[in-house]
Amino acid sequence: MEDVTTLTKIQLDALREVGNIGSGNAASALAQFLNRKIDMAVPSATILEFKDIPALLGGPATQVMGIFLKVLGEISGRFLLLIPEKTAIKLLKTLIPGCEIDNPLNMSELESSCMREVGNILAGAFLNALSTLAQTPMLNSLPSMTYDMAGAMIDSVVADMTAVSDKVLMIETSFIESEEDLRIHIFLLPEPKSLTLLLQKIGVV
Amino acid sequence: MSVVIPVGMGELKVARSPETLAVYGIGSCVIVSLYDTKSRVGGIAHIMLPDSSGIDKERLNPNKFADTAIPALYNAIKAEDGVFKANLHAKIVGGSEMFPPTEDFENTIGRDNTVAVKKALKKMGFPIVAEDTGGKRGRSIEFDLETGLVRLSILGEEMREL
Repeated sequence: MEDVTTLTKIQLDALREVGNIGSGNAASALAQFLNRKIDMAVPSATILEFKDIPALLGGPATQVMGIFLKVLGEISGRFLLLIPEKTAIKLLKTLIPGCEIDNPLNMSELESSCMREVGNILAGAFLNALSTLAQTPMLNSLPSMTYDMAGAMIDSVVADMTAVSDKVLMIETSFIESEEDLRIHIFLLPEPKSLTLLLQKIGVV
Repeated sequence: MSVVIPVGMGELKVARSPETLAVYGIGSCVIVSLYDTKSRVGGIAHIMLPDSSGIDKERLNPNKFADTAIPALYNAIKAEDGVFKANLHAKIVGGSEMFPPTEDFENTIGRDNTVAVKKALKKMGFPIVAEDTGGKRGRSIEFDLETGLVRLSILGEEMREL
């Protein structure tokens, strides 16, 4: 399926459920990792105009930490974690004793490595749940990370998915640790060519 | 402050002095500005991909691809009063590789876009008078039609003019 605009409501609901199951597992992994209670916003599966994505994150120039991983397997896709500055700093201070970072632009090698590992764990947990559901192994690539403008990351991630259509399918969810305002946005973008197989595997072709 | 007109991904816009065209959060995309120094008319194409070949013509958005967006940008600008091809010059910005390559992947779209944009500009005969491309950082620009200058911002760096 190269054209995501033909997805039906039932198929989108099923994909939202995919987001639910994946991010539920990722949320428990994060909760264990941080030893705190993590709440999850209700995931969405939406067909979006690519040019509207940066607005969801507070505009294209908003500074965020981005962790990008490829989904490898019979069903392939892209996984993008966007972590606002405040949350990134909080995570680093929680995970690295004595960490005094005040601007993610100045991360040390240890700090970068720690954030990539957060990405690795979250993507791994998400895809693990999805592999079980779809009965096909889905693995994540090594994570790549940057701290920059949200718009710049999104154009790099979605550009070649938009050759045919101006729209992309995005499964999105956020984690919130209510008391401390910890926020992580997860985006899963199935490759258009694997979408039919994913729908088959979850039984909504 | 003059009117600032934002140009999103896959969009193409033309404006004239004293307006300003702006693009925020440029990653692997390449921004091409064409400017007529005499009439102070200019335009921007926010290009996402290098090549439109193989794409169904009926569904093609020409503004997305280097090979089709640059002719489209020229057509849009020359429709304005007082524009002459000989007065036009180009500036190009963007084409970075935001996510460093890992063992499993490498993203060459930024590089491919830059190469394709240069080729398309050469084909049309527009000189590139300024360029800031490649690298690993995102960029934002404001293209001031009054002066023809492009103000370039990169996170953690001083603002520069091209």
